[in-house]
Amino acid sequence: MTTATTPVPAPAPVKSQPGASRAAVLALARFETRKLLTRVPVLVAFAVYVAWTVWRTRVSFDGFPALQDADRATQDGPLLVGLAVLLSANHAMLRSRRQDTERHLDVLVLPRWGRTVAHLLSVGAAALVTALCVGGQFAWEALKPGAVGNGSPGELLVGPLSVLLLGAFGVLLARLVTAPFAAPLLIVLMLVLATLLGFSGEGWTRWLMPSVGTYSVVTLPSDLIGRPAAWHALYLGGLALTLMAAAVLLSGGARLRTAQAAVAGAVALALVGAVGQSRDVPESVTEARVRASVTPERLHTCVERDATTYCAFPEWEPRTGDWARIVDDVRALAGGDAQDRPLAVRQRVEARYGLDADATLSPLTRPGEVTVGTAWGGNRVPEFAVAVAGVLVTGSEATAGEMCDGRMVTVMWLALADRPDPLADLRRVRLDDSDTGSALVISQTEPLQMTSAQTELLRELLELPREKAAAKVKAGWAELTAPKVTTDHVARVLGLEKPEGENECL
Amino acid sequence: MPVIETRPAGDTPVREARRGVLLQLVRPVARTVPWWALAAGGGLGLLAAAVPRLSGGEVTPWAGVTALRAAALCFALGAAFLLDDPARRTTAAVPVRRVLRHALRYALVLPPAAAWWTAAVLLVPEEARPPAGDVTLEAATTLALALAGAAYAVRRRGADRPGQAVSASLLTAAVLAPLLSPSDWSLFTAPGDPHWADGHGHWTLLLCGALLAAAVCCTEPVRRIHPVRRLRTRPEGPKGGSGGAAPRDGKGRGGGESPRP
Repeated sequence: MTTATTPVPAPAPVKSQPGASRAAVLALARFETRKLLTRVPVLVAFAVYVAWTVWRTRVSFDGFPALQDADRATQDGPLLVGLAVLLSANHAMLRSRRQDTERHLDVLVLPRWGRTVAHLLSVGAAALVTALCVGGQFAWEALKPGAVGNGSPGELLVGPLSVLLLGAFGVLLARLVTAPFAAPLLIVLMLVLATLLGFSGEGWTRWLMPSVGTYSVVTLPSDLIGRPAAWHALYLGGLALTLMAAAVLLSGGARLRTAQAAVAGAVALALVGAVGQSRDVPESVTEARVRASVTPERLHTCVERDATTYCAFPEWEPRTGDWARIVDDVRALAGGDAQDRPLAVRQRVEARYGLDADATLSPLTRPGEVTVGTAWGGNRVPEFAVAVAGVLVTGSEATAGEMCDGRMVTVMWLALADRPDPLADLRRVRLDDSDTGSALVISQTEPLQMTSAQTELLRELLELPREKAAAKVKAGWAELTAPKVTTDHVARVLGLEKPEGENECL
Repeated sequence: MPVIETRPAGDTPVREARRGVLLQLVRPVARTVPWWALAAGGGLGLLAAAVPRLSGGEVTPWAGVTALRAAALCFALGAAFLLDDPARRTTAAVPVRRVLRHALRYALVLPPAAAWWTAAVLLVPEEARPPAGDVTLEAATTLALALAGAAYAVRRRGADRPGQAVSASLLTAAVLAPLLSPSDWSLFTAPGDPHWADGHGHWTLLLCGALLAAAVCCTEPVRRIHPVRRLRTRPEGPKGGSGGAAPRDGKGRGGGESPRP
């Protein structure tokens, strides 16, 4: 038995192609992306984020979003995804260590920093998916028929950039601490610090957080927002790049010129962004806020429809149609000269105290002028109808605010009779959501007062068929709208029972 | 009566032997307990509990109970690594049942955990401290959930180191539970809330469930019964046997392209 030994040919010297390393990084990045996006925490986070966003966006802003508010509403959901990506990217980085395959990977063509770059690219892919979700949410808001205003790209970038930042932190953390318990514990600590301390921050430090919510109660024109959105996006991007470059440096890429240059550039970007965002509201914005609050008529563009002039800030021009429908409805029910008396609907906003301060507007004193705010939909619609009816009956907003007599019945009936569900709207405009007894009626300016007797009479009137009630109101218009008319007299004119409730204004 | 007499006589040496083995096991098990994970979780937990005191100013009861909940979560995340044992395959053959080995681990950790929790509760300023018993119930539930998760991973998947996956699941659940749990369960109420007592009834239920799950998962699966697989395996060989049944199933499911076992 002879043993034939075939000479084994010496392996050809492996020459790495110039593009081989890049192709290997990309191949690994594809693999890691697939792994990252199918990890359970990431899947759950995306599912919850998308479901919550869809659920909320269906009814957000009462169907009439101002896009300068809608862009900020995209920022908080991605933080959930970001935390999941942090955890999963950290685990993915530690996988080779956990399964003891680090030794095998070390003999491959891909250097250690190349593997880190692949992980960072997978984090970038997760950020891209988030960007798609954010874009979808914003596009949905923008496509709603009642949308007005302009979104800011800086605000829209915050969501995806937070995911990138948190994911890059997860990758860097794996290079700093190899213990698998570091990432979950750090996430809890971050949540605790953000919950117990983060929201109380004032001044420039609060802008160091990824998403800085402003609980805005007032919608401002987009040029009066005064948030350093672009600087903040630059800061977030710079910080994310810094963490990414640091992770590459710590993975044995310290001698790479590109990595060194990237660290320097990213730190510079983050610093520039941090300095830029730390400045207070610019003086030009403060002046513009004063102008918009004190002399809005200089900024308005006016449209005339029938006998009514609608003056609005340029961004709200598409909304004049919605206002006109309400004004026409109210006018159609009125009698006397109120059907074609000239009216001016003026949009006003109190911008001097910023986004998070709610200040009431003083009523307009000139006759035939009605205030309309920047928000619309929901309760704002019947409130506006009440304001229009008040001006039609009493002459001006200021006198409507001081009114304390039987005219209130006519005002409320004009405002509500043409609404789809008058009683529901009655509850919505009243401060205590009641439909019996006395209450304050909310308005854009001064609130109005309804007594028990007036409420009783109004409900009687609303229960009549609309045409019959309209005929009665038109027939008795002069008496119903006479100043100081008593509620009992109004009941007599309308041919209704005398109300029994008390009839004293507060 | 002879039967009753012979039983204790026969059992006593076994029990003694078992006790002896347990005592011998204490030191090796204590060495394999991942003390670092527990220490990290405990340390960060103490830090979380101290945040209200450190931040100065008036501490609200809500801040107190939130800090304690976070502290309990930190410790539970550390404790999720308690059953991590790289040498599990080699210790599976020792004559001590898994339930005893796991119980020994739990027993080793419980005294430090109790001391740590006392310290965490004391770190919260007295005026903001929630009722100690109720908040301890929440902490115990979190810990029991972590341990039950780890025991489940060991039993079902035979994982050597279930800690990472369990801690990730626990964290995901902890972040999502306040967002998604029905509000009438009132699990995450602040002290003084009218639903506080109701909520703690639910916490007790959760704790019982978690303890039961942990106890069930700690027992060793004696043998695996796969009646379905045994029926399908034909003497023709695994490939032919499963291939004979697969096409029909595959067509039915519409995914029979790759019949992999």
